[in-house]
Amino acid sequence: MSRARSIWLVARRELLERGRSRGFIFSVLFTTTIIIGSFVVPVLIFGDEGPTRVGVVEPAPDRLDSAITTTAVALDQDIAVVRFSDREAGETALLDDQVAALLIVPADLSTPGELAFRESPDPTIQGVVGSAVAGLRVNAALEAEGVDPTTFVEAQTPPTVRALEPPEEGADTRFLIANIGAVLILVGVFSFGFTVLTGVVEEKQSRVMEVVLSTVLPRDLLMGKVLGIGILGLVQLAVFVVAGFIAASLTQEFELPATTPGAAVQLVVWFILGYTLYSTALGVLGALASRMEEASNASTPVTIVAMLSYFVAIFAVINDPSGPVAIAASFIPFSAPMVVPMRAALGAITPIEILVAALITIAAIWVLFVVGGRVYSGAALQTAGRIRLRDAWRSAGQ
Amino acid sequence: MLEINDLAKRYGNVVALDGATFSARPGRIVGFLGPNGAGKTTAMRCIFGLARPDRGEVRWKGAAIDRTTRLRFGYMPEQRGLYPRMRVGEQLGYFGQQHGLSGKQAEAAGRRWLERLGLADREKSKLEELSHGNQQRIQLATALVHDPELVVLDEPFSGLDPLGTATMTEVVREEAAKGVGVVFSSHQLDLVEDVCEDVVIIARGRIVAEGPIDELKASSGRRHLDIEVAGTDGAWIGALPQVQVLEHSGGRMRLLVDDSVPLDELLTAARSAGELRKFSYQPPRLSELFMEAVAEPETEPAEAAGLHR
Repeated sequence: MSRARSIWLVARRELLERGRSRGFIFSVLFTTTIIIGSFVVPVLIFGDEGPTRVGVVEPAPDRLDSAITTTAVALDQDIAVVRFSDREAGETALLDDQVAALLIVPADLSTPGELAFRESPDPTIQGVVGSAVAGLRVNAALEAEGVDPTTFVEAQTPPTVRALEPPEEGADTRFLIANIGAVLILVGVFSFGFTVLTGVVEEKQSRVMEVVLSTVLPRDLLMGKVLGIGILGLVQLAVFVVAGFIAASLTQEFELPATTPGAAVQLVVWFILGYTLYSTALGVLGALASRMEEASNASTPVTIVAMLSYFVAIFAVINDPSGPVAIAASFIPFSAPMVVPMRAALGAITPIEILVAALITIAAIWVLFVVGGRVYSGAALQTAGRIRLRDAWRSAGQ
Repeated sequence: MLEINDLAKRYGNVVALDGATFSARPGRIVGFLGPNGAGKTTAMRCIFGLARPDRGEVRWKGAAIDRTTRLRFGYMPEQRGLYPRMRVGEQLGYFGQQHGLSGKQAEAAGRRWLERLGLADREKSKLEELSHGNQQRIQLATALVHDPELVVLDEPFSGLDPLGTATMTEVVREEAAKGVGVVFSSHQLDLVEDVCEDVVIIARGRIVAEGPIDELKASSGRRHLDIEVAGTDGAWIGALPQVQVLEHSGGRMRLLVDDSVPLDELLTAARSAGELRKFSYQPPRLSELFMEAVAEPETEPAEAAGLHR
């Protein structure tokens, strides 16, 4: 039987046993519900209210409706006007909350009229309706004085707007993608990576390790575990992303960020590389622990390295993506998965650099599997206390 | 044939194996005996590549053992353990497949073993839901699910009730009858005497006795004589050469006799002493051979050496 099949059997066992467990299904359903909820609930609570309705009592000036809606648009408000034949009908509607306010203005605009609310006045409606009425009255007064309408239309033109440092097209999206990569890898390390860690300790604790290792090579067992839990993690992430995407597009609150497919592919590739690197390291350290309580201690070095890499990425690299810190961090295996996709999203890395960084990371993963396999076989059958890395290495040696 | 050649292994300052050499033949049941810490588990782990010997090697059918060879072996470690939350049927299927069976073959083999062990209705149960004894049965099935050519069982009888012991014995005998080589370690020497044809005794990392139980007994050079003579206090024994009194109460005695002393001479002496009621002349029991074999060489060097063939 080939080693590849042996590795796949280990991975498949992890996939099936974990994927079918009630805890896993529950946590995926729970998180998916929260993701969908975060899009749907605001809509349900705040609703798609439509325009605020303002009632106008006849008779009123013809131009009043368009004056109110135009002013509202200029102030980024959505206001619709409803006409009522008499004051009584309008007030009934106001008391029934069919309209938010009721405006009574004489058709000749001789007085500013009256704006009625049911309880407390709404300053926004007050502002919009107030400016519309005032504008109409000023126009009427000027026209009465014989001023040419084009003159005051021209006089009402606002100043032109200019920004000295306009933001780049798509800069927000790039920044978002850059940050998502680093966060995803951190999440990958702390959830799926730690699943690998606890999985290894469980096998030691249940003593099944000796039976397994009598057939499966230590390195293959480690690889299979990382592979199986990794696939499960990717499936989980895919479910979350798809659920969020569907919920978002149904509630129409979301536009697909305008990103290049290249950036998205890099994100996935570096997520896989980062997860594999960190979870392999965690699996090896897990073999050094004998009980769950020791596992978190054993994993401390990896936790520290992951956090350091994350901080380097979000503080140093994002501010100066082409600087010396960013370049150095791209070629260090543990920081590369966070730094490289970030620099790529910001357009601050060359394809050659990406390739070299990827090769270095893959080489580091391979070294970890080889070193890890040996430490694993040295430590896997020692079930008392915490084993030192050096002792595990030696006892597996010649 | 499994050959263990000159295995040596030390853990720090502790010598686990110190040049151990023995073999196990197909179709024979070998009892692998030794006091705690003598090196039994380490030797078994060396067979499965779980411990790397400092010196020496393990060979199967004349060739050095590698991963592919080991797929045809079955192992039940002293520290039992399977996946607690995995279903029993799938567990057997998984280990069957890891030993090279296809998914279907492994499933069928797992089912066959569950039926054989009377656990067919527990196929869908999680291992942790089974009683301790039944978990042990599953552990045995795990070692045998792929029809191995060699089965190595580390203390298979420990923690078993009489029913479990009977099943284990039966299964081990059946496997050997099929031509499978069986090596198992145990401290229950009476059981070993009952089940095994061959024994290997290890002490301080070295093999101190090896061979068919009958031959070991015959070659021990010592015989036990249980004798009961009425109407005498046993003073007549003093006249006999090379006889050691192990137990003595009234006319009943248990004697240790060198096999060079002719049986006739003993019988005549006993008859002339009084009325002979019991005369039982036997080779030593396995437990007695064991005690002699593993004794510290400083105290009884001649006997230990004498037993080592």
